[in-house]
Amino acid sequence: MRQLKVKVCGNTEANNLQQVCSLNPDYVGFIFYDESKRLVESPAFVPKVEGCKAKRVGVFVNVSVRFIQKKVRDYKLDIIQLHGDETHGFCQKVSKVKPVFKAFQVHNNFNFRSLSAYLPVCSKFLFDTSSATYGGSGKKFDWNMLNNYTIDKPFFLSGGIGPEDAQKIRKLNHPMLMGIDVNSRFETEPGIKNIEVLSLFITTVTRVNSKHPTKDGFYGAFGGAFIPEMLHKNVEELKANYLTILASKSYQNELAGLLKNYVGRPTPLYKAKNLSTKYGVTIFLKREDLNHTGAHKINNALGQILLAIKMGKTSIIAETGAGQHGVATATACALFGLPCKVFMGELDIERQAPNVARMKMLGAEVIPATSGSKTLKDATNEAIRYWIANPETYYLIGSVVGPHPYPDLVARLQAVISKEIKEQLNTENNIEQPDYVIACVGGGSNAAGAFYHFIDNEDVKLVAVEAAGKGVHSGKSAATFQLGSVGVIHGNKTLVMQTSEGQIIEPFSISAGLDYPGIGPMLAELLTNKRGIGLDATDAEALVAAELLTRLEGIIPALESAHAIAALEKIQFNPTDTVVINLSGRGDKDMATYMKHFKNGKKNRPRI
Amino acid sequence: MEKRIDHVFEQKESRINIFITAGYPQINSLPDIAKELINQGVNIIEIGMPSSDPLAEGEAIQKASAIALSNGITMDLIFNQAAEIRKFSSSIPLIIMGYFNQLLQFGVAPFLQQCAKAGVDGLIIPDLPMEVYQQKYRRLFAQYQVKISFLITPQTSEQRIKLLDIACTSFLYIVSDNSLTGANASGFSAVQIKYFKRIQKMKLSSPTMIGFGISSKKMVEEANKYSNGAIIGSAFIKAVEKNEEVRFIDKII
Repeated sequence: MRQLKVKVCGNTEANNLQQVCSLNPDYVGFIFYDESKRLVESPAFVPKVEGCKAKRVGVFVNVSVRFIQKKVRDYKLDIIQLHGDETHGFCQKVSKVKPVFKAFQVHNNFNFRSLSAYLPVCSKFLFDTSSATYGGSGKKFDWNMLNNYTIDKPFFLSGGIGPEDAQKIRKLNHPMLMGIDVNSRFETEPGIKNIEVLSLFITTVTRVNSKHPTKDGFYGAFGGAFIPEMLHKNVEELKANYLTILASKSYQNELAGLLKNYVGRPTPLYKAKNLSTKYGVTIFLKREDLNHTGAHKINNALGQILLAIKMGKTSIIAETGAGQHGVATATACALFGLPCKVFMGELDIERQAPNVARMKMLGAEVIPATSGSKTLKDATNEAIRYWIANPETYYLIGSVVGPHPYPDLVARLQAVISKEIKEQLNTENNIEQPDYVIACVGGGSNAAGAFYHFIDNEDVKLVAVEAAGKGVHSGKSAATFQLGSVGVIHGNKTLVMQTSEGQIIEPFSISAGLDYPGIGPMLAELLTNKRGIGLDATDAEALVAAELLTRLEGIIPALESAHAIAALEKIQFNPTDTVVINLSGRGDKDMATYMKHFKNGKKNRPRI
Repeated sequence: MEKRIDHVFEQKESRINIFITAGYPQINSLPDIAKELINQGVNIIEIGMPSSDPLAEGEAIQKASAIALSNGITMDLIFNQAAEIRKFSSSIPLIIMGYFNQLLQFGVAPFLQQCAKAGVDGLIIPDLPMEVYQQKYRRLFAQYQVKISFLITPQTSEQRIKLLDIACTSFLYIVSDNSLTGANASGFSAVQIKYFKRIQKMKLSSPTMIGFGISSKKMVEEANKYSNGAIIGSAFIKAVEKNEEVRFIDKII
């Protein structure tokens, strides 16, 4: 869907208008109608809001052209809104001064065809609720009436729109609806807007759901490809080929065959009865832990290696945090006989020893990253540096991060998760859609995959759980959405944990797969525009959740996935809700950490 | 408008651009090292703005950057130190090399304003793609009269080199090899020389300088033969580490 424009009307006061402008509405309106409670009488405050980018709309009711001309000059108006009984002839005269928005009051017998005479002389239409006072009633008209509007002229919807209408407006989906006009329902008193309420409303109503990036790789303000020239050719080559190859029949057949017979897909959607009983809600676990190699990472690794082979690449590099992506890539390379180098932080090599051993047995060369925090961020730096020096190799990125088109490529390859969730809920459980989908997020590939096919369905709440480490504000955390600011890391613009000088702050989490100081641009956008809900879980909470799941359901989760389980404690569910948790990986690799934790005795243990 | 970069390329036959990491080895080392370099006849000073995650740098500059950051170097200090160099020499071109995120956090316009104020002539921002510069920042750079260099690599197509040449307002930085900074040691290979000649034949409108892996007098001379100058970074940083920077410059000039 395209982005709706917002017009905030009935402004009367300088400071408040300044605040309204800070919310970036497309239009701000001033009412010059004597009978209105929001009548503007002096242009004195207008110069104070010079910096405002919004266009200024003057609202008039049955006055002379001269009166309008004077107000246009005094208030530097950009647009004239005629809200009375003006004829099309009058509109034509006024349109020579400034573009005209003509408002019509829609009543139950309103005939939209009567507007055709206004078509050539008005820039836009505006539909308001019928009232004796030319609008301002605070009431809505029957929006079903809009189905009768088939004229080719964009319109604004007006009349009694309130904070509770955001979702309803998003669902209107009328081809000519270009924006909405809000006023009295967002006020603390006539003419003074409630900034907080207005802010949330504008964010919700204007957001564009970001399953796909723009051609330059942007999800809203996030994404892009901020890469040194040395990588330009490689990234361009990938950009030019990935969509065509992914869409080709031979690629799709080959990947589908591998996912079915080699990986073991579809993975079960398991109704976790004991966990459901404990939390008083229906909980399903998407069992990505049952994939070959033990996590969702193999979906992406096989997808990308097939792509690399079709692009004629003969060697593969990858970065890894917990080692799951490293193992998945080493596995794919073993299967296709390609040489494989995996960059891994020195600290992670220590804490994920079983995965290091697996990679080595699979024939991959594990190269320790010894710079910085010696974890995932540094492994990614080293992989990129190697790629710069060896541009003929294929860089198989493990998450929805990196320069465009990687975030989109990885999200598409992981989208199989949500595709299956949807089908399995429908066919196996007779449930149309979940109320919640919960996933842990480091870079965000399992979350992107679990959310993907639900992004457009706003009835489904998408919950991303970050690793809070020892606590969000403890200084030892990886909660990027909460602690980050807009910056560039590993070739994309996203939320980054950084200092005011742009130096990256070392993240911390007990889970090697989540301690990343950035977040995929798609998730940064989903969380910022409030389509997604950002939660966090500490190391301690994740450990409790891991043991809880193990004892209740007999499933030992990866430490990463345990963060998603921990979110169950933090959400107020309705008993009728359906909750899907993406269990992204299994806990074998974390046994040493778990055992060490249990030695501590009763601290941070669940009550079962 | 100051034309220090233009003048350097108009006046001299051969040129050396030396890269120094600001804040290394001590937090205030930059001005003194730069003054020494100017006295020794170096033609351009390139100030490296240390980054925690310098993607295109090899080990020597990564290490220097980490030390500089732990010394407490900041962008404000770098501008102060640049201004001090500018007081010492009114003609030496000063270039800042840094990563785009540093500009973003400082604010691109305030950063350019500070450059203008401190007498910094140009920038090298490896991860600011030419297209993004053209679309979003070209006017701002022009407004503050700060110039920009772009990188050319062995993989850059002829068509793209032409676009980079048009966008470039300073010198084009010819990356000598598919490598990180400091990767090479002995001399240029036949393949590299062929690549330099290919670019030389294009008769670009911007001056060019060859960098990455230059460490000897012979390489400096070759770089000057096939382009308008040589850029030395890692080799100089290594000399600074050993306290041998004066001798190093004597040896290569």
